[in-house]
Amino acid sequence: MKQFMTVLKFELNNYFKNKSFLVTTLFLAVLLVGVIVVPTFFLPGLTGGASKGEETEQTEETSQEQLGIFVNTTEIADVDSLLAMIPGQWSSYEDEESLRSAVEAEEIEAGFVLNGPSDAVYVVNNLTMSENLSQTFSSALAQYQKQTYLKDHGLSPEEIAQADSFSVNLEQEVLGKDGSRNYWYTYVLVFVIYMLILFYGQMIAVSITTEKSNRAIEILVTSVNPNSLIFGKVLAGAIAGVLQMVVIIGAGFGAYRACREAWGGMLDFLFQIPGNVMASFVVFGLLSYLLYAFIFGMLGAMVSKTEDISKSATPVTLIYVASFLIAMVGLTDSDSLLMKVASFVPFTSGNAMFIRVSMGSVALWEVGLSVLLLVIGCVAAGILAAKIFRFGTLHYGNPIKLTKALKSMGQQ
Amino acid sequence: MKLEVKNLKKSFGEKEVLHEISFSVESGSALGLLGRNGAGKTTTIRILMDVFKSNGGEILLDGRPFRPKEHGIGYLPEERGLYPKKTVSEQLIYMGMLRGLTARQAKENMKKWLERMEVAEYENRKLETLSKGNQQKVQLAQTLICDPEIVILDEPFSGLDPVNSQILKDVITEQIQDGRLVIFSSHQMSYVEEFCEDIVILNHGEVVLSGDLKEIKREFGQDRLVLSSLNEAPGKLAERLSSTFDDLLEVEKIQKDRVIIRKKAPDGKTAILERLLQEKVDLEFFGLYEPSLNDIFVEKAGDDL
Repeated sequence: MKQFMTVLKFELNNYFKNKSFLVTTLFLAVLLVGVIVVPTFFLPGLTGGASKGEETEQTEETSQEQLGIFVNTTEIADVDSLLAMIPGQWSSYEDEESLRSAVEAEEIEAGFVLNGPSDAVYVVNNLTMSENLSQTFSSALAQYQKQTYLKDHGLSPEEIAQADSFSVNLEQEVLGKDGSRNYWYTYVLVFVIYMLILFYGQMIAVSITTEKSNRAIEILVTSVNPNSLIFGKVLAGAIAGVLQMVVIIGAGFGAYRACREAWGGMLDFLFQIPGNVMASFVVFGLLSYLLYAFIFGMLGAMVSKTEDISKSATPVTLIYVASFLIAMVGLTDSDSLLMKVASFVPFTSGNAMFIRVSMGSVALWEVGLSVLLLVIGCVAAGILAAKIFRFGTLHYGNPIKLTKALKSMGQQ
Repeated sequence: MKLEVKNLKKSFGEKEVLHEISFSVESGSALGLLGRNGAGKTTTIRILMDVFKSNGGEILLDGRPFRPKEHGIGYLPEERGLYPKKTVSEQLIYMGMLRGLTARQAKENMKKWLERMEVAEYENRKLETLSKGNQQKVQLAQTLICDPEIVILDEPFSGLDPVNSQILKDVITEQIQDGRLVIFSSHQMSYVEEFCEDIVILNHGEVVLSGDLKEIKREFGQDRLVLSSLNEAPGKLAERLSSTFDDLLEVEKIQKDRVIIRKKAPDGKTAILERLLQEKVDLEFFGLYEPSLNDIFVEKAGDDL
């Protein structure tokens, strides 16, 4: 145990004293904080908290729009009150031709030929410019018609305003899982595990191969119990990875908490994660990370040169990428048979069961069983990694094949 | 302490590389494990250190099965290697702590051994910035950092210049005087001769010679004499001896400017000398033949040279 702690401390120091590790952690944390904090300074209009600013800005912006109108009808008595409903600086034209040429000459941004209460032509050079202008115009026209109709039938303007002011307050109460709400943070968290496993998996494999490539391994295995050595190394890598993630994600959560009001809660879909989802993320994320860490450790023990690692790691990487893809598919249908099966297989359950907890409906016993299987998988991978490590210690040269390693261990 | 290796066997796949190796060594003495490349020295040491498992035989320390990890052995493997990117002090303290020292003891011993190896000024330098010889000395400091009772060195002199070799020789001599049990392998016979009481010569995985070095030398020199003449070249002298002295001796070989002969009668030394004077051989040198370890080694292990 003492040796294990010594190894763990030494290996953790390797990470924490590594400048690129510290710089990456700091950089990503600052970047995330920046992404959350900076927009609140520059785009107050985006946020619900500054609705006044939004209005004035919009008025200013649209008031600069020069619009033209040619009234080709006598059916509309009060054209001014119609135009007042549409923000813009209006100029009247005597005929359709002059309106068209004004648009073509870009004197005005766009123009309307009003042919009747329900008939108008929208004249514009470039339709992408302001697609909602035509919509605004037609709804203003409809509104104008409605008001005229109601006035004609004896309602006062106040009564009309009253009739328009009815609104319904509809609140949603989701009894099951709100899949649409859970989608984004689940997606992000699955991605976090993905990055963690692939990135740190490689680092762990490298840290184990390093001692073979610099030949310190013989002194180490004669001084230390190989189990202390490999467990110390793998767990150091795992702890370093988790700490890095905690710092980065923690910075993000902290920043959002501080700026939530400024954002008007707009990023709740990423940061408001229910407790049970967070707990299952921690449990399944950690366990499957540990499982893959041991497998990567095993791979590191089978090669003797760090440059051989990426080749040897390909099958495991593929397995994990497959698990990730299943998870991505599962995000849209978390209760499919594929997801149900995947949520019990240790290689895929980390993602699959987490998604089912987050987005689907799953019984507690299923979660328990899945955790148990994953723990068994971790322990088995740990034991196997230690054995292969001991076996592969002094095998220099070509990478050992897993089948050969298992066979030779059986013989010993 | 007495370390005994009994009938050690080891196979790699189908090939048996050690055939029932046996030897023993006690505290306060050094055993030299000699042999040509591929004779089985490193394999024997690795089995001793529990890096490899043997396929037969046993290793006993004071009559009990030997478990190297329990004794914090000072082991210098043939494959040298530490952490090139770490500072000297950092890795020595780590190695010391792994072998059971506290952080404080490890630091004290690190300083002591770096001083002794005359590399104290590199304490805070990264290992990779040191010369090969100095790296080797750091490695030796690592080997001895926990003041081990048993010291096992695999080819300790390889890569050291004469001055550094002298430092190492002194250190090993101190270790022996301090009552440590030292085993080391080498094919540099001169070093072995200097401080080994016992030797084991391995050839093709077999012990071809073992025992007390002085006795071995005496036995090897038995019945042999060495002589040279002032007025005759060794080749000519050897010819004359073979033809006119063949009732008393036979010529064994010519070594540099001397002829080595084997007397036919156990007490024939005086008779040979008398005949030499009688035959007017102008003797430059006449005496008992004392073989060097090199001679013994070449004779025992150089079968297929």
